[in-house]
Amino acid sequence: MNDPYGILGISSNASDEEVKRAYRELARKYHPDNYQNNPLADLAEEKMKEINEAYDAIMRMRNGGSHTGSAGASSGGYNSGYQGYTGNSAGGSVIYAQVRAAINRGDLQQAESLLNQAPARTAEWHFLMGSIAYRKGWLDEARQQYQMACNMEPGNMEYRQALAYMQGGGQAYRPTGYDMGGGMGAADCCASMLCLNCLCGGRGC
Amino acid sequence: MFGYVTPLVGELKVKEFQKFKSGYCGLCHAMGKNCGLKARFFLNYDFTFLAMLLDREACLHADSMCRCIASPFRRRRVCAVTPGFEIAADASVILSFWKLKDTILDEVWFRRLKARVLSLLLRPAYQRAAKRLADFDCVVRQCLAELHTLEQEHCPSLDRTADTFAKLLQAAGAQLHMQEEKRPVEQILYHVGRWIYLADAYDDLKEDFKRKRYNPLIARFGLKEPELAQGDRHLLEATMRHSLNLAASAYSLLTTGRWSEILDNILYLSLPNANLRVLSGEAIQWKQIEQKNRRMIYE
Repeated sequence: MNDPYGILGISSNASDEEVKRAYRELARKYHPDNYQNNPLADLAEEKMKEINEAYDAIMRMRNGGSHTGSAGASSGGYNSGYQGYTGNSAGGSVIYAQVRAAINRGDLQQAESLLNQAPARTAEWHFLMGSIAYRKGWLDEARQQYQMACNMEPGNMEYRQALAYMQGGGQAYRPTGYDMGGGMGAADCCASMLCLNCLCGGRGC
Repeated sequence: MFGYVTPLVGELKVKEFQKFKSGYCGLCHAMGKNCGLKARFFLNYDFTFLAMLLDREACLHADSMCRCIASPFRRRRVCAVTPGFEIAADASVILSFWKLKDTILDEVWFRRLKARVLSLLLRPAYQRAAKRLADFDCVVRQCLAELHTLEQEHCPSLDRTADTFAKLLQAAGAQLHMQEEKRPVEQILYHVGRWIYLADAYDDLKEDFKRKRYNPLIARFGLKEPELAQGDRHLLEATMRHSLNLAASAYSLLTTGRWSEILDNILYLSLPNANLRVLSGEAIQWKQIEQKNRRMIYE
């Protein structure tokens, strides 16, 4: 394994507090919320694993081998958050489950051709079409499809959350000091997304 | 390429600003070395961003001090030219050449004439660059042809036309040799490309409307007047901000390098800032913001 201090970007005589701060900053950077349905989510997950391991290794060294709790677990289990869809197509057909699996694999072509074979254009159909568009970077299209899904099934939280995410313009990590001063900025949008997240009971709902 | 992508100069440290200028000069020198003197006149800030993004390998060489035709008396700091810069130099020449060709197809006669003369001047440089980056040249040619067809059809999908332009920039990232950095770089270029395309469409809205030319925003929102309604403007702002967020998320996955401070400034600060200012109506066009930035860099 590489130098764990190097991975966290600190020197080996950093204080415990500094180690923790560096770890937290990086965990914020690679947080699954910044990579929702993102084609690069696998890379972010790898990075998160790397910093978790580095943090654990440092803590083990400092506590003379007595540190057992993993950073991943103590920080709320980030690792599990990267999977796209957990396949909660309740009442959905087999095709939709297959489409979700294909999207998670990153095989958009197959997902799209499967969807085109689906017998009816239900709310879920539009939602999945939107997800494929999102993966391709077709953000306007994705928003329109999510909107249609919401119109057809206004009570579905998954669709509503996806639409709200598009309306908020997504989110990304910015280092401290790079948040935009003045104006209606990222802060409002972040806060509302956080609230929404709480309402929906966190990731992967 | 339109010169939209510049750092927010007021937020750079003095040493970072000097570094940015050394990168700008470095790309100019790389273009001269690879493609000849005439190519250097097509340098712009978008290409400088491309060069800094593609320059992923560790550089052991120090900067040098050089004179050039733009600064014949005072020596300027020029960064060491790395393979990333050479790729960016060739890509810049290819993009400039096809942009001129595109202008010849679309524009009114006097602009057409100007583009024709310039494309003749650039041709030898283009040929040298296209020999080295044959596959990139091929993608650019295909994408621009596709874009032209979509424009002729008055394509109402914002994403489809923007996608074609974004893919064209993305292809520059495919030239990278470092596999693990390639996917994030491609994603950054895709979304910055999408943003540039939409920014340009917004800037050209009035003129395109007057001349009854295709503009993706007119087609998408079915505009009856050369102005976006409040709601549509919000939609555009959100979708463009989303692209910048996706570019920033991809950028966060890259390891730090020679140009990190400048790229941080561009992706985390300058572009989102410009996006907000223009679409909230504070500034009228991106061109104004960029011109102001450009003046600051030049002085």
